[in-house]
Amino acid sequence: MVGISVESMVSPSPGTPLPSPAPTDPSTSLEVIRVSKAFGFVDVLYSVSFSVPAGQIVGLLGPNGAGKTTTMKAVLGLVRPDAGEIRLFGRNVVEDPVGTKRQIGYVPESPALYEFLTGAEYLDFVADMYGLDRATRRERIQQFLTGLELAGHENSLISGYSQGMKQKVALIAALLHRPRLLVLDEPLNGLDPRSARVTKDLLRNLAAHEGVAVLFSTHVLEIAQAICDRVVILHGGHVLASGTVAALRDRTGLAGRDLEEVFLSLTGTGDLRDVVDALSR
Amino acid sequence: MDLHRVRRLALTLVASQLRSGRSSSDPNSLLGQPQLIAAVDVVLFLAVFGLSLEAVRASALGSHQVATLANALLPFLPLVAVGVVLVAGVMFELTATAKFAGSDAANWLPITPAEYVAASAAAIAYTYSPAVALALGVLLPFALFGGTLAAYLLTVVLTIVALFEGAVLVEMLRSATQRASSVGAGRRGQVTLILRAVVLVVVILALQLAFNPVFLLGLAQRLSAVGLVTAAVPFFWSTEAVTQWVGGSPALGIAFAVGQVAFVALLVYLAGELRVRYWVPAATEVRLEEHRYAARNPFLALLGLSAAESALVSKDLKGLVRRREMLPTLVVPIVLIVLVLVEGTTFGGFVSVLWVGWVAGFFSLLIAGTSVGQERRALQSLISYPLSAKSLVRAKAAFVLLPSLVVAAALGLVVGIYFRLSVGAVLGVLLLVVAVSVVLTFWGLVFASRFSDFQERPRPQFLRPGGMLAAMGSGMVLLFAILIPGTFALLSPSSSSVSIELVCALLALGIGGLAVLWTVTGFRRLLYELPF
Repeated sequence: MVGISVESMVSPSPGTPLPSPAPTDPSTSLEVIRVSKAFGFVDVLYSVSFSVPAGQIVGLLGPNGAGKTTTMKAVLGLVRPDAGEIRLFGRNVVEDPVGTKRQIGYVPESPALYEFLTGAEYLDFVADMYGLDRATRRERIQQFLTGLELAGHENSLISGYSQGMKQKVALIAALLHRPRLLVLDEPLNGLDPRSARVTKDLLRNLAAHEGVAVLFSTHVLEIAQAICDRVVILHGGHVLASGTVAALRDRTGLAGRDLEEVFLSLTGTGDLRDVVDALSR
Repeated sequence: MDLHRVRRLALTLVASQLRSGRSSSDPNSLLGQPQLIAAVDVVLFLAVFGLSLEAVRASALGSHQVATLANALLPFLPLVAVGVVLVAGVMFELTATAKFAGSDAANWLPITPAEYVAASAAAIAYTYSPAVALALGVLLPFALFGGTLAAYLLTVVLTIVALFEGAVLVEMLRSATQRASSVGAGRRGQVTLILRAVVLVVVILALQLAFNPVFLLGLAQRLSAVGLVTAAVPFFWSTEAVTQWVGGSPALGIAFAVGQVAFVALLVYLAGELRVRYWVPAATEVRLEEHRYAARNPFLALLGLSAAESALVSKDLKGLVRRREMLPTLVVPIVLIVLVLVEGTTFGGFVSVLWVGWVAGFFSLLIAGTSVGQERRALQSLISYPLSAKSLVRAKAAFVLLPSLVVAAALGLVVGIYFRLSVGAVLGVLLLVVAVSVVLTFWGLVFASRFSDFQERPRPQFLRPGGMLAAMGSGMVLLFAILIPGTFALLSPSSSSVSIELVCALLALGIGGLAVLWTVTGFRRLLYELPF
């Protein structure tokens, strides 16, 4: 297991001149190197750095508005960093967007599917985007449909699906082409317990046996604790801390406590009793 | 009915529409305030009033002639107001996704169906009020100079009632078409989806034609001409009220006006009942035949498209038929074609070729202009796929050209055969119409790649208003610049025909080539960073 990364625990304060991006580490799948991004006058990311080695699940955690989704979009090339660099298997995401996208599977925070297609038509469409041959796509789609209990619904229009069913379709679409990096923005939203369990176990298997790197965001810290090898905690666009859960416990002096308490302690929102009391009145 | 609640909901619906655009997303901005529409009304009214006043003053018309003109125009204003709201409503309101008016957004709130209908209708009427402000501003000087101010004031009141009446009818249609949208729920087959599209297109088409102001006025005149009493039809009561008033029967005029208000109240009640009965908030399941996974569409492969490009084209073509909000795009050319068929018999060959070329070009421009914005939030997924800008351009162009070339070729053939043109002239017409379609397709894509609107909003727009105006304005200039000389050269052959045709072809090639380049640049920019 990788220990806490001292470099990424403390980001430079705004205004500090940024050094040039660090050299690429060939052993990692994804490297986010001092990435900054502003939308207008609002700094969304400030010198964010972390890496996702092959075969590891890295949890990207943080309160609402911390910059998790923007970071994930930057990894995909959907958002251009104002400064810094993102490398996927050594290749700059900005310089080779098509090549890097072939390696990534992505589940957005709110999947926007083509609801006028059936589930099968949509997955066939995605298979075409990644150039899967007929036999492979049929086999994989059927496996996933069965595994996530969508079989029997695949020929219905997606507009008639429940939220959870749409989420399953988005998950299958991300996994279909066997990507080397999975970027999953709250992928378990709306999934029933069985499907959530299947997905978690599948991610663990893909990481452990296939060497797939997974960048995974969630607000459910029990899930992050259960499946992530490391976590990166973003707060106000900065990397507040990163490392294994055990290392973060040590850092906060909360040995034996769960990730939720560590997270609340790090983000300065530990004592919520007053808030709850006020809301209960 | 709680009028305070109705007013609050109506203002919220108006504000949600105004603020759903990116440029007016700041809630404190004047552009995001419902009062904006009232300000536009006042400005428009005063501006056209000033112009009209000058025009009436400058004219050589006597006060009696002005009064005659005012008396002839005023009675039809309420009727035209109903038509304007209905036509706009059919285009922009009926196609709105249900989620802004359905169970998640409104039905869970403690409001009655009638209150919702009244609020939504008020919001629609208010949204389209600038059109009426324009007409009222034009007519006020006529009323002042003609001494028919009382009739004018009655017209103002009845026109506002008519705006609301049109909006209530739109609400009724919304409920009815929502029901039509669920046709085939739980049933199998592509036929179900085609049937659903046909039902919706027929409903929209029938309304577009039936409430076209020109048709309405023609109908009123025909009814009068054959001695039928328009007084028997409640839709004409506003017209009857003003007519009676200017005809010297104010009591009868007031009676018709009161009758009109009562009729609108009845419509509100019926619309509330319809909403209860036909609104289907639950998602409906439509099942299709077993999907056959295929690596590539053979027909699209023949056109030289890759598997990914073919998939994009197939997806967009399915969307064109299956998506409610895309149906007006289909209806517009159908309405134009129907008008050609109805009115075309009185046209000469020259005008018909121009008309057909215009329909084909406009159809291409419309589909191309909306082809990128219709991706909505799914653009995020699309951009995350390993696609190059050139692939996207090829796919979108093929998606537009496949249906529009079929329309262009069919129309060109019909005109050629109808006017018994020579084989050479028919081929020339076909070539001209196809060239116009191709050029306008890429012209539309230039704007689609730069001005698309990806916001989810109550009244969906696929192109931002500025982009839409620029695309339509420049597109029409371009279209006629190719079409007029080309048609002249084809139908009136002379010694200079060949050189005119050559200039036309060069113009089409040059502009088309530039449009292709600009389209690719636009798509590269689109892929550079997600625009939302």
